[in-house]
Amino acid sequence: MPRAAIQSSQRVAPTLLVRGLPIERLPYLLLLPSLTLICLIELYPFLSGVSYSLHKGTLLSTGNFVALDNYVRLFNSPDFYNSLSFSFFFALFNVVFSYLIGLGLALFLNLDFPGRGLCRVLLLIPWIVPAVVSIVSWKWLIADRGGLVNIILATFGLGPIYFLSQSGWAMVAVIVIKIWRSFPFMMLSLLAQLQVIDRTLYEAGKLDGASHWQLFWHITLPHLKNISIVQAILMVIWSINDFETPFLLTQGGPSNATENLILLSYRYTFGRNDIGRGSAVAILTLVLLVVLATLMLHQQRKIA
Amino acid sequence: MKFNFKWLLLLVGLAVVFIVDFPILTVILNSFRTTDSILSSRNILPDQPTLTNYFYINTRTHFWTFLLNSGIVALASTALGTGLAALAGFAMSRFRLRVLGIYNQALLIVQMFPLILAIIPLFVMFRRLDLVNNFVPVILVYTVTQLPFATWMLRSYFDSVPKELDEAARVDGCSRLRGFVQIVLPLSTPGIAAVAIFSFLFSYNEFFISSVFLRDENRMTMPVGIQSFMQQYSTDWGGLMASAALAMVPTLILFLFIQKYMISGATAGAVKG
Repeated sequence: MPRAAIQSSQRVAPTLLVRGLPIERLPYLLLLPSLTLICLIELYPFLSGVSYSLHKGTLLSTGNFVALDNYVRLFNSPDFYNSLSFSFFFALFNVVFSYLIGLGLALFLNLDFPGRGLCRVLLLIPWIVPAVVSIVSWKWLIADRGGLVNIILATFGLGPIYFLSQSGWAMVAVIVIKIWRSFPFMMLSLLAQLQVIDRTLYEAGKLDGASHWQLFWHITLPHLKNISIVQAILMVIWSINDFETPFLLTQGGPSNATENLILLSYRYTFGRNDIGRGSAVAILTLVLLVVLATLMLHQQRKIA
Repeated sequence: MKFNFKWLLLLVGLAVVFIVDFPILTVILNSFRTTDSILSSRNILPDQPTLTNYFYINTRTHFWTFLLNSGIVALASTALGTGLAALAGFAMSRFRLRVLGIYNQALLIVQMFPLILAIIPLFVMFRRLDLVNNFVPVILVYTVTQLPFATWMLRSYFDSVPKELDEAARVDGCSRLRGFVQIVLPLSTPGIAAVAIFSFLFSYNEFFISSVFLRDENRMTMPVGIQSFMQQYSTDWGGLMASAALAMVPTLILFLFIQKYMISGATAGAVKG
């Protein structure tokens, strides 16, 4: 009996269905609780969201069926294009700059020097502190009166810059703060990848007389390709889904300059009590994310 | 020569750290000075350090209620999320079935799901059930949000426990589930602890979901509470800085425990995705 159990258990997993043995229920039972919760918290809301977006409803009642009217009105509204373009530039700048800063610091931390472990830990702090804490500190740094940045500008006879009341500067502020909150994660994952590159590759390269630049270009970068694309996809998703940075800093203002798609959906829903249009924006955001992620994954397969 | 170069690198490293962490440093330093001194002083260091702000938030605000609420919500969602992720992670580590591949795809979608899309119908639903200002919806949404990451990470920890161990237990008449609970789980304790702390940090730091569902001052979590300070007393920098400084104490302490797991965490999503 024990021997038979050993033999069957070694084969159990892959061959179970093929051999017509009774299907093991355990894996299904193990998934059941999380699947139930995912259905309740995301699948059900997704389906209701689709339905809301086809109705003219409020937070209290679902309202009349209006077919695609909410979507048509969105495509005719400047607010929507404004949010779409802010979301786009927000994601673009965040991906590019957190990648460049993250890569630079990852290469730096991959050098051998005393205290680099400590530096690595301390550089992760902007990423792990609560968003609200970061925003409190930045709000003071860039405050119109008494803010450190404006005090420094004043000593050079410049400024003051009203960061949060001028559209252009508000966008810059939101994007810079987002980059500051994002790059540590990029740095960490690139560093993790750098540390598993085989050292002997570099030694072989040096023997062949390759320069530092050639080593970087022909050994380091190709090894980072995969993780870079995956992290870029994650960063795009997280940037487009970010609510906290713009909401806590500017609440989308001044005059909607920093209102991304999530804030637009939030304003329609909770500000104007129009869940039809709020849901339509949210659905379009999901569609946009799925399309972007699919395109980028496709690109990854082509390169890899 | 080489020796000097290494110390030079350390110096550069510390300079970068100082610039990057400067905003956080100002929160701590400013929390020890009065609002007047924050706005007028040209000095980065407090001239006359004072605990006034801390006394103020201790006696005049709901700060400790916010902290308690955050603790409840974060603990509950961490326990639930880590538990569910452990079950699913075990299934993904030990079985090869098509349904597991589909489940993995579902986790990817959960990962990119815009929370606002979940929030609108859930708000409508929980309002009908009279569960606004109740922790339950917040805990459930946090749990689901943590699932993808926690499941991927736990799965890779379970993968590193040799299969032969739980198979040997089955030979001795243990059920698969008991083998998991009595053999695989204990051997993955450090990994589970790391995942739990990650989950706790996420829930403790999160603002968006809490701000929608918890609007009564007695139910607010820490980030929502601080944001309401920010709106009501936008000029009271001293109080704001002190509450922000206190709010990050739990975050920083927990972070010290898991920082060495951070590297495996940062790539967990990438490898499995």
